[in-house]
Amino acid sequence: MRIAVLLSAGRHSVSGRPAPVPVELQALRLAVDLANQCGGQSGCDVTGLHAGPELGPLADTLGHGLGHLVHLRTEGAADPAPALAAALEAGGYDLILAGRAGQGGEDAGLLPYTLARGLAWPILADAAGLAPGEAPGTLSVEQALGRGARRRLVVRLPALVTVHPAAPPPLPFAFAGLRRGRVEMREAPPAPAVAPEVEERAYRPRPKLIAKAAAGASALERLRAATEAASGGGRLLVDPAPDEAAREILAHLRALGLPTR
Amino acid sequence: MTDLALLLSFTVLAMVVIAGVLAARRARLWRVGRAAKVDWAAGLLALPKRYLVDVHHVVGRDAYAARMHALAAGGLLAGSGLALLGLIPALGDARLYWWLTALAFAAAFAGGGMVGRRRYPTKPARLSGGRFQLLPFLLAAYTGGGFLVALDASLGGALWPLGWAGLAVAALGGLGLALQIDRGPMRHAFAGAAHLVAHPRPGRFKGERATALAPLDLDAPRLGVALPEEFAFNRLIGFDACIQCGRCEVACPAFAAGQPLNPKRLIQDLAASLQPGGTNAAYAGSPYPNARPVAGIGGPGLPIVGEGAMIHPDTLWSCTTCRACVEECPMMIEHVDAILDLRRFQTLELGAMPARAAAPLMELRYADEPGGRPLTSRTDFAAGLTLPLISAKGEAEILLWLGEGAYELRYGRTLRALVTLLHKAKVDFAVLGAEERDCGDLARRLGDEAGFQRLAAENIATLSRYRFSRILTADPHALHALRNEYRAFGGTYEVVHHTAFLDELAAAGRLSIGALDQARITYHDPCYLGRYNGEVDAPRRLLDRLGIARLEMERSGKRSMCCGGGGGAPVSDIEGERRIPDIRMSQAAATGAGIVAVACPQCSSMLEGVTGARPAVHDIAELVLMAVEKADAAPARPVEVPA
Ligand code: SF4
Ligand code: SF4
Repeated sequence: MRIAVLLSAGRHSVSGRPAPVPVELQALRLAVDLANQCGGQSGCDVTGLHAGPELGPLADTLGHGLGHLVHLRTEGAADPAPALAAALEAGGYDLILAGRAGQGGEDAGLLPYTLARGLAWPILADAAGLAPGEAPGTLSVEQALGRGARRRLVVRLPALVTVHPAAPPPLPFAFAGLRRGRVEMREAPPAPAVAPEVEERAYRPRPKLIAKAAAGASALERLRAATEAASGGGRLLVDPAPDEAAREILAHLRALGLPTR
Repeated sequence: MTDLALLLSFTVLAMVVIAGVLAARRARLWRVGRAAKVDWAAGLLALPKRYLVDVHHVVGRDAYAARMHALAAGGLLAGSGLALLGLIPALGDARLYWWLTALAFAAAFAGGGMVGRRRYPTKPARLSGGRFQLLPFLLAAYTGGGFLVALDASLGGALWPLGWAGLAVAALGGLGLALQIDRGPMRHAFAGAAHLVAHPRPGRFKGERATALAPLDLDAPRLGVALPEEFAFNRLIGFDACIQCGRCEVACPAFAAGQPLNPKRLIQDLAASLQPGGTNAAYAGSPYPNARPVAGIGGPGLPIVGEGAMIHPDTLWSCTTCRACVEECPMMIEHVDAILDLRRFQTLELGAMPARAAAPLMELRYADEPGGRPLTSRTDFAAGLTLPLISAKGEAEILLWLGEGAYELRYGRTLRALVTLLHKAKVDFAVLGAEERDCGDLARRLGDEAGFQRLAAENIATLSRYRFSRILTADPHALHALRNEYRAFGGTYEVVHHTAFLDELAAAGRLSIGALDQARITYHDPCYLGRYNGEVDAPRRLLDRLGIARLEMERSGKRSMCCGGGGGAPVSDIEGERRIPDIRMSQAAATGAGIVAVACPQCSSMLEGVTGARPAVHDIAELVLMAVEKADAAPARPVEVPA
């Protein structure tokens, strides 16, 4: 399986200094783990791809388990999508991984969708775990849903998958990996600058989603109101027998798709 | 010369030959190690002094052991030497000569008796069993037998039946001892001497503390140590020098806390992995507490760390780098250097640091601060106080290095006290503010030498832009890095710890100090101040100025016990049975003191984390401020009432 991981020029959330994006390092880890699982088979590799004017500290991804990093050098404000699309098309990859949305903030998280549309590949969002599917040429994806729920999906490759921050933490940085890894620089053909499609709308007050306790309610009631609104569903059992309670909990976990033995 | 004496001389000769062959075989193994710069001539010349003064200074802390060793080793060497020289006819024919020889053997026999007395009927836990339990018998046989032969020779053969019996046991015991030279207890004799000659930190014998870690060449083909052959050869000699006395084990805080580390076993595992086809099976001392299973096999070209090797990674990461083991080791072995060499490989080559240590190292890389906090908020603790910035002043007499503790609420109080005292004493000082990066101590102890070297270089570049005469810090880890470890990267500074500085101010009369009445205080020495930098007097002098009763803990000064906060141990967080700060706090409580005085942000947070009824924890700066405020509140001069 040939895997590409898209790496964007991030910034440290506090210091503001250039830094790799954490969720993309997590994607890299999923890729490396997956490549290790196909152990020994030829044609199993992970490539990092970055399109932008400078590599900066993205070279550090080589210390996080990446062996080969391709830098598609673009002009300052050029749109990275065409360069990436061309490289991905030419690369013959089976799987492309990206973060769900670079750093957050003003990052829209749309680039993976643009690329998937361009490649006419399926895209699957918010992976928290990856494993080879049972049938050859498929991938089993554990998708992160709200409130810690998980759903297992199987996609046919090639596919583009975005990774959720709930995925396992990045592989720790190893300085020697940085020295061992290979960086390849390619000039990307000139592309127009990104044209933000912004639409202006008048401000419209939106209904508050958090349930409100009656004014003057106690702190406990306010807390209950806030948490109950956020935790709909389920059944309320009062003083159940232990067996019954255990069965209910297991059933609920299964309904959420969590593995139970 | 009697025939028996001649045979004794030949026995000794045979022993020397056997021991020589075995020792040479072992010494050949050392040559697989990496090259190291060693001043052989100076080392050889200094050997007698290093042995008689430096080693015996350590051995002498246990008076029984010192007497035992002087008798056994001195008598054995003298007796054997004399017996050997007896082959020279002029000497061997003199009866008086054999008298002397008998005397030496008698002394050695007494020493051997003391060895036995220590191990039987019950062997202390810190001593190893196995071959070591045989040692007193071999010693007794050889020296007792030698004594009888020499006595007989001194009487001209009058006791020949006894002499014959003596010769038989002497030969048995002597050969037994000689055969132990490459693996058994006797190895420490020749490896120890070689270690003293080629010691990797010769400064230790010249009165230096010599505690800075050696910089790692980041362009080397492989970083750190994974295989025995990647240790410098003189480190390998050091491992072989271990006599398994267990003093390091007793001192080790991680061992006491039931974490899987025992410095003695660690050194033995390292020594065993040098042997081709080596295993850890022969070891007969205390194990690693709660040992994680390992295969226990090794060889010069086989990995040392890993579940399939000799040493489990958890063992490596349990160490707080407190150097208590090094301080106690009579063979002057450098445990911490070995642990750091191994950690460097794990971190730099494999990225295999403990899970929770990865995040702080990452934050350090992109934010210069292990908690990922903004550098600008390092000075937040001082809200409401005047904290001059050196970037505004350009120069200052004293540059105050705040350190990591500044971000903590508890330690912020200490720093506020220190800043208040500096203002009261009208000290011309300033801080770097947002320009101060982490000093790199944590990165370095976790094996991230690349991270440390980057931080050191950037801090040195920042410091070079300002003029100041001294750096003042309340953090002994920063003190050690700035004073001792930046030097290798071109940063030479005069760094003073706040306890020494406040003591100076008090001595010069720049602080008027009142008395903290009735307080009973015990002082906990930070490892990086006491053991690493030898500063144990100034904090005590300062405390004594406060009019308090100062009590000493069972372990104090350079032999103090660690709080558990160093070496990245809090982030590595290797599971044990107890917490190190709890042990230390119970030692403090045992003195009956109501206050433990500390002088380090790590100690402060570790000891403050102890739950239950316990003495209060205060940094010395806080205590000094209390005393100064007492003096301010009291009338400046007692009013003289005319009689
Ligand atoms: S390392 Fe040193 S202190 Fe520890 S057992 Fe060996 S000789 Fe004794
Ligand atoms: S440095 Fe301290 S914690 Fe580490 S092995 Fe030595 S005594 Fe134990």
